[in-house]
Amino acid sequence: MIDEIVKKSWDVIVIGTGIGGGTVGRRLAEQGLSVLFVEAGPNGPRGEQTALDSDVYDPVARRVRGFWPTRLKAEINGRTSEFFGPLGAGVGGSSVFYAATLERPERHDLDDSPERPHPTGGWPVGYDNFQPYYDAAEKLYHVCGNEDPLSVERPSSLLKPPAQTAGDNAMMDGFRHRNLHPYQAHMAVRYLPNCKNCFGFKCPRACKMDGRSAGVEPALATGNATLLDKCTVTALRGTDKSITHIEVERGGKKFELRAKRYVLAAGALGSPRLLLASKSEYWPQGCGNSNGLVGRNLMFHVNEMIALWPERGQKFAGASKAIAMRDFYYRDGRRYGVVQAMGLEASYGEIVHYLNMMFDRSILRSLKVLRHLTRIPAFIAAKLFGSAKIFVGIMEDLPYTHNRVILDQADPARVSVQYTFAAELIERHHSFRRMVKKAFRGQRFAFLGFQPELNFGHPSGTLRFGGDPNSSVLNASCRVHDIDNLYVVDASFMPTSMGINPSLTIAANALRVGDHLIGELSTGADLK
Amino acid sequence: MNKKKQTMVDNEKMIRAGVVVITGAGSGLGRALAINLADRGLKVVGFGRNKSALQETASLINKGRFYPMVVDVADSSVVDMAFVEIEKSYGTVTLLINNAAIFPRLDFLDETPDSFQKTMNVNLGGVITCTHAALKSMQQTGLGRILNVASFADIAPMPASSAYSVSKGAARILTKALVADLADRFPDIVITDWLPGMLATGMGIPDGLDPATAAKWGAALALWHDPSLNGVTFEQNCELLSPRPLKRRVKDLILLRKSPVARKIIA
Repeated sequence: MIDEIVKKSWDVIVIGTGIGGGTVGRRLAEQGLSVLFVEAGPNGPRGEQTALDSDVYDPVARRVRGFWPTRLKAEINGRTSEFFGPLGAGVGGSSVFYAATLERPERHDLDDSPERPHPTGGWPVGYDNFQPYYDAAEKLYHVCGNEDPLSVERPSSLLKPPAQTAGDNAMMDGFRHRNLHPYQAHMAVRYLPNCKNCFGFKCPRACKMDGRSAGVEPALATGNATLLDKCTVTALRGTDKSITHIEVERGGKKFELRAKRYVLAAGALGSPRLLLASKSEYWPQGCGNSNGLVGRNLMFHVNEMIALWPERGQKFAGASKAIAMRDFYYRDGRRYGVVQAMGLEASYGEIVHYLNMMFDRSILRSLKVLRHLTRIPAFIAAKLFGSAKIFVGIMEDLPYTHNRVILDQADPARVSVQYTFAAELIERHHSFRRMVKKAFRGQRFAFLGFQPELNFGHPSGTLRFGGDPNSSVLNASCRVHDIDNLYVVDASFMPTSMGINPSLTIAANALRVGDHLIGELSTGADLK
Repeated sequence: MNKKKQTMVDNEKMIRAGVVVITGAGSGLGRALAINLADRGLKVVGFGRNKSALQETASLINKGRFYPMVVDVADSSVVDMAFVEIEKSYGTVTLLINNAAIFPRLDFLDETPDSFQKTMNVNLGGVITCTHAALKSMQQTGLGRILNVASFADIAPMPASSAYSVSKGAARILTKALVADLADRFPDIVITDWLPGMLATGMGIPDGLDPATAAKWGAALALWHDPSLNGVTFEQNCELLSPRPLKRRVKDLILLRKSPVARKIIA
């Protein structure tokens, strides 16, 4: 089988099978193009319910489970730490573990306007041009939910969400009394009978829609796509203008693969790393990096965890999974983001996990014994929180060229980042907290963090698209400026991180790039 | 009923709707388990090396509930073929009871490396071959139940029991190793060790427990599908808690962990 794959000249090779790679591969295969998915991780057994677990440290065990096998090296504000990021490496990528919140951004996330100027002057493809692809992505991912009552845009293509629990209803009523505007969040879940709400762990059925169930699996079902799992791409190779082949390694064997077009979808950390690692005589700074922007403008969302107790006389029954509100999304000329339910009760186990993660990034992290002590504040917190529900505010991070993915000279295969908190971000974080505090005045609530927490599961921006080749890595079609047959469809393309989960926008963009590729390849605008 | 309990009930239904494989079903405890589970309306496939012994088991069970298959569990290719055949003819295996074992009474000086290995191949190898084959479909559906009939022979080996003690001890370690590899990924594939006690069977003692009595507990435990039973050991009808040394108990006390309570099988 490998021999045939190596011999064949594919229409498109897709590197990575998360939301971006899975979705573009499906679009291409459904249109009759031959697609090869190259995935570094395994195509795990379908019945798995593995939860992303940073306590699993053995690289073999991590690989088998579809976790990113190595620690992320992060130099944050000049201090280096190493930890396992919430990242997947298997068929479906990180998305098999995600909470399936697929929401549209706001118009100002993409477009520049006099009322709401865009930090980059606006995306090269605007909100209106993205709309048909948002519609298509919502259909592909079976997204259900209710419209945001604050939205002034035309309705999304949402399916009817399941009936809400009495507890969630009560909570939403409480929010409305506070003049907030909650709605049922937009979920890529089919809610099949006995749905387990697989948020944070792999769904054993095609019920949660992710890069695997809504991307790779339907692509393979067409008969036009092939999956090569446990296969690591070590370098892209080519001339000054084109990719000629990719070098891969699988089971200790090295070989080359060839296609008419190459689509990079290894994630906003993995894709720039691969480009930087593909240095050659033609690309002395790395592939597509003649302007030195590959890996730069790295953004993460800033998470603000909020515990919220029921108001007097109310009861929240069960964990809320699907409540969102955009009341704090944009205020007084500043970009914040959505507030949504985490699907968590403030239980003891959840709090221990959260505190352990904080501990691993703190100054005390080398004193392993102390890690056990997080149980004591967690126990007190669990007693204190009782029936509190956890919400998370996702706050937009803005692009800065000094925040970036770098090539680790000592170990080029691993992901290494540099990030400095901008003064502007810290200030915005403070005013976000003040705003939330004010909105819930009189209700018992608590912030679970003290400082801004980066969401390492939401990296973006490292290969931004744009009209000007001097200030971007990709053109408006998400093709690498320097290279005529290399495209990127993961979160790297985003010039700004938006105030919302990136998945729907990644999927919509993948469909858009897919259509462009279909056009290119079917009109015979072939390069060779 | 809360959601967790509902899921358990649904999973138990799905386990009952599939096929049960019992190894060593031609005699003793294996036969008693086959009779008990077939009487509960389950579809049982019985493995054994002796055709006439399996047919005798079949004669004690209503027609259409028990399917004998001549399989030597020590032979992995035979076991693999048998599981393919089961999938084709009877349905998907949802419950495996690893019961087959041999107990040759031999002084170590009278064993040969080959004779020792032969016992290993049945008592440990048989658990490996059948578990590996059953997991092929279970890892795709994510649902299954595996009950390993275990023994204390490894704790204080008796004279003339070296191969048996080593193989049964290793089988208990295998359960723990499987839990390390599978429990977090497949919480609904539940693997449990069960020590039935000294039975009045060919391998047991004359004044031991009636295998039919033990089978009541074994069958009930096999049909009890709760992720928290993963890696747990039961003795007869009661959960065996792993001993907690003083240091651990003090630590648990400080860290406000609850002390565990042994569960009982409701037969």
